[in-house]
Amino acid sequence: MLSGTERSSSKVLTSCEWIHQRLRRIWHSHDIISGAIHTMLKQIVYTKIGLYEKKKNRRSPHNHKLKENLSSVIRHGVDGVEDQDSCCINKRDQVLMITADILSNYPAMCSDGSGCCQPECTSNLPKSMPAEEVMPVIQSNIDYMEEDKPLIPGVTVRAATADKLVHICIESFSKEGDLIEDTEYPNVMYLMHKWFISSEDLAETFIDLYQNCHETIECTKDVCDHLPSDGECEIQIYKAKICYAVRYWISHFPVHFDLDNRLKTVVKRLGSLLLSEGNTSFKELIDLSKVPSYDWMRNMSVRSSAMRHNRKVSLVFNHLEPLELAEHLTYLEYKAFRRINFTDFKNYAITASLKDNAKLERSIALFNGLSQWIQCMVLSKTTPQQRADVIVKFVNVAKKLRILQNFNTLMSVVGGLTHSALARLSKTNACIPSETQKTLMEFTELLSSSNNFSNYRKVFNQCIHFKIPILGVHLKDLILLHTAVPDKIEGKLINFRKMAQLSQTLRELTKLQNQDSIPVCANMDLVNTLRLSLDLHYTEDEIYELSLAREPRNSLSSPSTPTKPVVFADWLAGVSPPDPNTINKHVYDMVEAVFKNYDHDRDGFISHAEFEAIAGNFPFIDSFSVLDADQDGKISKAEMKTYFFRANCHALRNSFKHDFHETTYFKPTFCIHCTGLLWGLIKQGWKCKDCGINAHKHCKDLVVMECRSKQHAGCNRRVDSVSNGPGHQDLTYSTKRKMSQRQKKTRVHQGTQTEEIYFSDYGQMNGEGEFYDEHNTLYTRLLKTEEASDKLKEENEKLRKKLIAKDEKIKLLKSQMGSIRNNTLTYILEQMDSLKSQRHTEV
Amino acid sequence: MSKAKAQQPAVIHKVIMVGSGGVGKSALTLQFMYDEFVEDYEPTKADSYRKKVVLDGEEVQIDILDTAGQEDYAAIRDNYFRSGEGFLCVFSITEQESFQATAEFREQILRVKNVNSDKSDDSIPFLLVGNKADLEDKRQVPVEEAQQRSQQWKVPYVETSAKTRANVDKVFYDLMREIRSRKMEASKQNNGKIRKKEKSKRKCTIL
Repeated sequence: MLSGTERSSSKVLTSCEWIHQRLRRIWHSHDIISGAIHTMLKQIVYTKIGLYEKKKNRRSPHNHKLKENLSSVIRHGVDGVEDQDSCCINKRDQVLMITADILSNYPAMCSDGSGCCQPECTSNLPKSMPAEEVMPVIQSNIDYMEEDKPLIPGVTVRAATADKLVHICIESFSKEGDLIEDTEYPNVMYLMHKWFISSEDLAETFIDLYQNCHETIECTKDVCDHLPSDGECEIQIYKAKICYAVRYWISHFPVHFDLDNRLKTVVKRLGSLLLSEGNTSFKELIDLSKVPSYDWMRNMSVRSSAMRHNRKVSLVFNHLEPLELAEHLTYLEYKAFRRINFTDFKNYAITASLKDNAKLERSIALFNGLSQWIQCMVLSKTTPQQRADVIVKFVNVAKKLRILQNFNTLMSVVGGLTHSALARLSKTNACIPSETQKTLMEFTELLSSSNNFSNYRKVFNQCIHFKIPILGVHLKDLILLHTAVPDKIEGKLINFRKMAQLSQTLRELTKLQNQDSIPVCANMDLVNTLRLSLDLHYTEDEIYELSLAREPRNSLSSPSTPTKPVVFADWLAGVSPPDPNTINKHVYDMVEAVFKNYDHDRDGFISHAEFEAIAGNFPFIDSFSVLDADQDGKISKAEMKTYFFRANCHALRNSFKHDFHETTYFKPTFCIHCTGLLWGLIKQGWKCKDCGINAHKHCKDLVVMECRSKQHAGCNRRVDSVSNGPGHQDLTYSTKRKMSQRQKKTRVHQGTQTEEIYFSDYGQMNGEGEFYDEHNTLYTRLLKTEEASDKLKEENEKLRKKLIAKDEKIKLLKSQMGSIRNNTLTYILEQMDSLKSQRHTEV
Repeated sequence: MSKAKAQQPAVIHKVIMVGSGGVGKSALTLQFMYDEFVEDYEPTKADSYRKKVVLDGEEVQIDILDTAGQEDYAAIRDNYFRSGEGFLCVFSITEQESFQATAEFREQILRVKNVNSDKSDDSIPFLLVGNKADLEDKRQVPVEEAQQRSQQWKVPYVETSAKTRANVDKVFYDLMREIRSRKMEASKQNNGKIRKKEKSKRKCTIL
């Protein structure tokens, strides 16, 4: 039996997951573990153990692995059947019993390494134990498991209790306070401790160990008073090591202390404990007063004062050099990235949700915002060549980002440029030089997700000096590692190998967050301008619609986008736009920056020409006259702030969405899309309330013209929606003026649509009754009929009068309408003229 | 025989796991890739999402792209979807929101795929997957509701449990079968069209 199994299992022996697998398979495939399976299981397990023991002489034992597997089966079983029917509880008990059998008969598994190893001992197994006795067996006295192949030098613990982990940390220091053999253990321990214990509790553990070390540590000296001055006393040495360990914590992870007042309190308590024992020299070791301030981590928008070199740059996109843009984007990126702390990473890895994770959310919002900004900047251009030029510019920015080793922003830029909203623009792509296309391809290749981002990982690891990682990739690593490996093994031991594995990623990230030298000096004005540009929030749908509008699909393929389901908030957009306060602040900063740089005569206003230059940074910014709310030919700070705050709520949501209404035309009118006549007498076509274009019913969804004229006519609606924007009082005058014009327009609508004629009663005409002379009865009947006839005639007369009155009313209304129509037409023509002239100036 | 195979590497089917955060995409992926729990899992290894499997007697490779951790990076999702040949759209039956999100994912996938292939928009290999089926008592998404949606989309609906491993292999194998049949269709069509395509390509380069 044994030799047979040995032969057949020589393959699987390499992996001790084998037992685990078998047990789980059996667990899932049988409702109740029958006696036969029970026996079989035991045989499998014991044979397996025997084989392990034989190998033991050659290699290190795998006992703890085996045991871990078994207990994981049990845990799994117990978890899986809670609150379930009794049959499953039976099953659970059975598995527990089997395991208990194994464990009680196989001491080697409980204590590492030692114990009998003869397969023969399997033959005389005692009867199985009741379930309640099992758990104590499993949770035997192990508080520590050794690692057989350390991942990180010095980290030799596989799993242990928290107390034990702290103890190991303390023992990593020599009595002189140096790290023994340069072990990495304290680093990993301090870095990762928040995964399984709060900093406060960790510090408490240090105090506990300090206070109890009289019992746990044996002094080797024959006579000893355990006085602090005694350099040979083991207890005092241990206490010193505790202090060194805490000192190491404070000096290497000061940020833990700065941000955590409760931790500070505990450490101070340790300090006073030391003082009370007269350990003044140690007390100095754990001095917290030198911890630097990490204000910038606490507050989302406090600016670091170190970065105030003011270099002269242009704030205008068209004049902005790719290098400048890349540097400033890097600056923004780095600031967002370095704020994310350990807890943020941990929470995201565990919950995979951005809820209550503002710093990470901000970083992701920046990422998405940049990518969308790029798409919109491209799509805001009207001709393919112009769009291609913008793409080329951003590819050049990408090149600079690659040189700066800012991979996160690079990913965002390349992601934006290769997004399907841009990739589908075949006319535009035809205008892009092949060289640029090649560069873009190379970047796509570099950042490709294939082979688990192997290209990126390789390049990233080779990069030295300043670099910013693609956060998403590393977050994914954390999540997968967290999913793949349990936090605890044996039910209570902290899985420290997992901590070591996680620390490899997290240490890299935290190291990169604390790079000293940013190879960038930023101009705060440009930073502020960019920041606001990136705040503008669009949804994927909006951008895609825009793309379709710029270069419509082939007429052959179906024109409609896939059936659109109910919109579930802005989920797909991933991250909600920044809160109003943040935006307000960004708007404020940006406007200040713009005025600082462009208000040359310092009169607090921006002129038309200056405005045109700034507008280039914001795709779909409205024209000068809209921002200039009081129409005085200059834009004041208040006007600009109001506009941008509003624009953020509004974004480009309406740029391409016309507000079509069925309309009756009184003059031959042509469809803007197919240029055909709008046929019919009434309700010939559809008119956009905002920009006034007309279209066929079947054409109205295909219209590709932007709804631009509403800059003038539709402005007031947006003004209305701003209730708390600063300086909105300034707008009231123009709003009123425009409102009145608009009301005229809507009256025209009502006129055409309520035009109905009241003929309904007119049809009931009376016929004259015939006269018969035969009977009185008949005569009286005649009289009655005559009476009735008279009445009817009277009624008829009344109705006729009414009708005439109505006709007159209609005539009146029609004449009114005519004059209003004339007014409106001249107004529209004026508008069109002004638009044309504006376009000319823009060109 | 092994030589012949070495010369002709196994076909790779690219599967993308989509769904909102925390629905168990990674757990499903890991269960499928490693069968049982892994002790020395290395998330950074290049081949950690590629596996050789036997699909109906034919050896193929499956390449899984797990979008875990990047659900919120809207900007790159688009690119991911483009590289995928088949999609497992995962939600958790214990979380209504995650079910609602599948509609958005589906829409984005269709959009991205529509653009790339000029083939008429017949269905993409796609499975609607309700994960965490072991947590029946916490169920928020009724089976009927999910089935209704899957019928509307004309895609299969499968409930899985990464914990008990129920249906884990099934969803991956079913999806690979769909991908395979789609590829075979495409190659048939392409055989007829290759000449046309070459012509048009040449024109492009001249321009």
